[in-house]
Amino acid sequence: MYYKIIRNDIAASKLVTLTTTVFVAAAAMLVSLAAILIVNLPGAIDTLMTQAKTPHFMQMHSGDVNTDRLADFARENGNVDQFQVREFLNVESSRILFNGNSLAGSVQDNGLSTQSEAFDYLLGLDGKVIQVSDGEIYVPLAYMKDGTAKIGDKAEIAGQAFTVAGFLRDSQMNSLLASSKRFLVSHQDYAELAHSGSIEYLIEFRLKDLSGLNAFEAEYAAAGLEANGPALTYPLFKMLNAISDGLTAGILLLISVLVVAIAFMCIRFTLLAKIEDDYREIGVMKALGLRVADIKKMYLAKYTAIAAAGCAAGYILSLVFKGMLLENIRLYMGVSSNSSIALPVGIAGVLLVFLAIVAYVNIVLNRFRDISAVEAIRFGTSQQDSSAGTKRFRLSRSRLLNTNIFLGIKDVLARKKLYLTMLAVLVIAAFIIIVPQNLYHTISAPGFSTYLGIGQSDLRLDIQQTDDIAGKTAEIAKAMHSDSAISKYTVLTTKTFRARTPDGLEERLKIELGDHTVFPVHYSQGTAPVLGNELALSALNADELGLQVGDDLTLMLLDKETPATFTVSGIYSDVTNGGKTAKAAFTGGSADIMWSVIYTELADSSLAAAKAAEYGERFAFAKVSDIEEYIAQTFGSTMSSVHRTSQAGLVVALLITVLVTLLFMNMLAVKDRYSIAVLKTCGFTGPDITLQYVARAVFVLVLGIAAGTLLANTLGESLAGLVISRLGAASFEFAVRPLAVYVLVPLMMAGAVLIATLLGTAGAGRIQIAEQLKE
Amino acid sequence: MRTIVCGENIVKSYGAAGEQRNVLNGVSAQIGEGEFVSVMGPSGSGKSTLLFALSGMDGIDGGTVSFDSMDLSGLGENALADLRRRRMGFVFQQPTLLKNLNVLDNIILPSMRDNRRAAAELTDRARVLMLKTGIAGLEERNITQLSGGQLQRAGICRALMGNPQVIFGDEPTGALNSATAQEIMDIFSGICADGTAVLLVTHDAKVAAQTERILYMRDGSIVSELRMAKFGGSGLEERIRKVNGRMQEIGI
Repeated sequence: MYYKIIRNDIAASKLVTLTTTVFVAAAAMLVSLAAILIVNLPGAIDTLMTQAKTPHFMQMHSGDVNTDRLADFARENGNVDQFQVREFLNVESSRILFNGNSLAGSVQDNGLSTQSEAFDYLLGLDGKVIQVSDGEIYVPLAYMKDGTAKIGDKAEIAGQAFTVAGFLRDSQMNSLLASSKRFLVSHQDYAELAHSGSIEYLIEFRLKDLSGLNAFEAEYAAAGLEANGPALTYPLFKMLNAISDGLTAGILLLISVLVVAIAFMCIRFTLLAKIEDDYREIGVMKALGLRVADIKKMYLAKYTAIAAAGCAAGYILSLVFKGMLLENIRLYMGVSSNSSIALPVGIAGVLLVFLAIVAYVNIVLNRFRDISAVEAIRFGTSQQDSSAGTKRFRLSRSRLLNTNIFLGIKDVLARKKLYLTMLAVLVIAAFIIIVPQNLYHTISAPGFSTYLGIGQSDLRLDIQQTDDIAGKTAEIAKAMHSDSAISKYTVLTTKTFRARTPDGLEERLKIELGDHTVFPVHYSQGTAPVLGNELALSALNADELGLQVGDDLTLMLLDKETPATFTVSGIYSDVTNGGKTAKAAFTGGSADIMWSVIYTELADSSLAAAKAAEYGERFAFAKVSDIEEYIAQTFGSTMSSVHRTSQAGLVVALLITVLVTLLFMNMLAVKDRYSIAVLKTCGFTGPDITLQYVARAVFVLVLGIAAGTLLANTLGESLAGLVISRLGAASFEFAVRPLAVYVLVPLMMAGAVLIATLLGTAGAGRIQIAEQLKE
Repeated sequence: MRTIVCGENIVKSYGAAGEQRNVLNGVSAQIGEGEFVSVMGPSGSGKSTLLFALSGMDGIDGGTVSFDSMDLSGLGENALADLRRRRMGFVFQQPTLLKNLNVLDNIILPSMRDNRRAAAELTDRARVLMLKTGIAGLEERNITQLSGGQLQRAGICRALMGNPQVIFGDEPTGALNSATAQEIMDIFSGICADGTAVLLVTHDAKVAAQTERILYMRDGSIVSELRMAKFGGSGLEERIRKVNGRMQEIGI
């Protein structure tokens, strides 16, 4: 019997059934994909980091290294399992060539490394530790992805010829967000090139107990060991490896939640409409003594069939698309140790969707309990007065609104619950369009770098890993002073000081000294340090030291032992140098200069690339970056992902808008055929009826866009802030492009809604009066 | 008497090609200005189909239908809608009022379509009609709060708002008790007295007996016609006997 009911019902409403099934399938597919990705990602990261034996703590250091002292520290520290000091030969990017093309434009610190013997292995794409021969070079995967190199290519490093033998997975530096990239060469070749660049040391530890990492970090800092460079930890490496695919999984989950919500709304709408249609029959069944549970079963059967078909189709689709999604993970990290359970977890996700739909239908069908058999048989419709709150909106008092438009709006107000479904879908659609657009616009805006700890300027010159940093910096500053193309510049010098918090905690603090008002960064709290006793902290440092704006901090300045008290003037986000930085306006202090940075603004910003090349050539010891290029290379892949997401969001949201509006309007027109016939007897024409439906759709659309925009700029901003905070920015505000958000998006949605409404109600005006009203 | 509605040799059939069944077999009928006409006949005889055909609400497969000498077959969908709104009125067995609107708004709805700026005058006219039909004071009520009789009166008010030349009623008293039905018939009699023609389809001999001309239908054809003087309020029993007598004569 159920088969017959389902078959007849589906035959009577093919479009509605198909649309609902499509949404269920999409929801199931996305949930399954997200589940597969979520299961695979940590497994793959674990596999990579286990195979590579990633260090638990790594201190980068420029300058001399006292290996014996470090070895003593490692021996005496009970938690150290393994210890090694590795070299990273920083080679000027312009001296690294593939098939004759140099990496000069790269903002990465490119360098050479040899294979480790104890841990921190560089792995091949088969997951095995690479054994490299003389004359061979293994290249970071990122350069394979961007097409810089391929196997068999000729490479030239500081004049020495190599052949690209393969690509490597670097468990520390795979991500583009890691600012260094290691190329692997043999010990012999490394020795020959050792004088072609500056050596940076990677002081690496593996611990017996990873839970003691924080304590170990503090012990290392307290021991006053080599620390001229950022310190990085295992969880940070894990996060860097997870960030890009983790974001994809997060976005997939978010979209799947939205699509599940849309599928639910479609089901709710079609069910409510069906219940209204069958009101009298339901009343009769109740009067005949059928139990509510029995009546429910008849309706539940159809939706169980739709949910089963949709979920099965969605799962099969997820198997088709999972390869695309896992490609990146497989390439960068290899096969996940959890891959065998990914498919069952995908099935579990799909089952969850199925059960949720059946449970939801069951809940909606509880309305049967409220249907009075007598009322249903007598009137055929619910006699509940649904026009509450709309009584003041009367035709007799409406002189401004066209009667058809009045009827359209009145219908929406009177049947709020029904239209709430369409409204919710339009709100979601507007949200899906606006949030990624705002996010993309924000991160691609010139000022965005200020959220990341980089002042808004045209050029950035880094002077580090060289002798006489102060002298060389002054040399560049002098040249800039007399360069008419440069409108302003500022020199910021980073030194390390010992800091003591009020509760006695002592830390080594890297402080960038200089005038921080020339190219200010974005302060999430407070302002830039201006006075000699003011200090701004990066969000990570403020968090770690437990300091707020206005709090005091003691620094050991002169002779490294003279204490001076500073007040925290502001807190800012920073993604550079491991995120733990500070800024102050004072000059001096006897500590050694770690590095200097010069920020520059040009009179004509369009000349930035040319000027960068000019200064790069003139001052070969400095790393000169065109800020736009710097941002593009560091966040380029993130920006293009967000851009692609925003474009996909637009297409998907418009598609959802068209589909759902088409579905709703078509169902409404079918449901309202009796009222339409009544209106036609009153002399309303086909175009009148169409105009009424357009008025309903536009009214809901206006509300939907308004609510969607509001939600996008509040909840959406917070959600985007979460994404941005993963990139290192502590506070965040959307940079809205008003023309796009307030004009183009509404116009596109209006177009989609209008087309769908006209298509969905095409038959409404042609309804025959006699067929509906003849007794 | 000037003819308002004129149907000549109307043919109407239903069903798929090859299996068509004629519901009207060349029916001709006229309604004069201010005339009160009813159509009687057993179920399936084509009464309602004739009413829908004469009013232009349903298309025909043969013959002609004209309204005030205007051939309806030559009119498009919009022109037919204009005609229904401005010169015709309709009342059905089940009250066809819109649930979203209150009583007053339902009544003025068709007229507001043309002239929303005259809302005040239209409201005044609606109130007069409501007073006349005995539902004054119910203007702000939702239609779910009205009885069947009150709803039918509201439907009549709506039909009268545009000063129609003819009102078509498809079993307008069919769902009402006899006392209420009689009140509705009194309203129709008053409408006719004011010069508006009324064509009613009914099963009820008592209803038909209050009209001036009765068309008897069987199997898609008018098989007899009974003319009587205008009903003045007395002698209803005698008129009913005549109506029933004719039915027996023709065997329906």
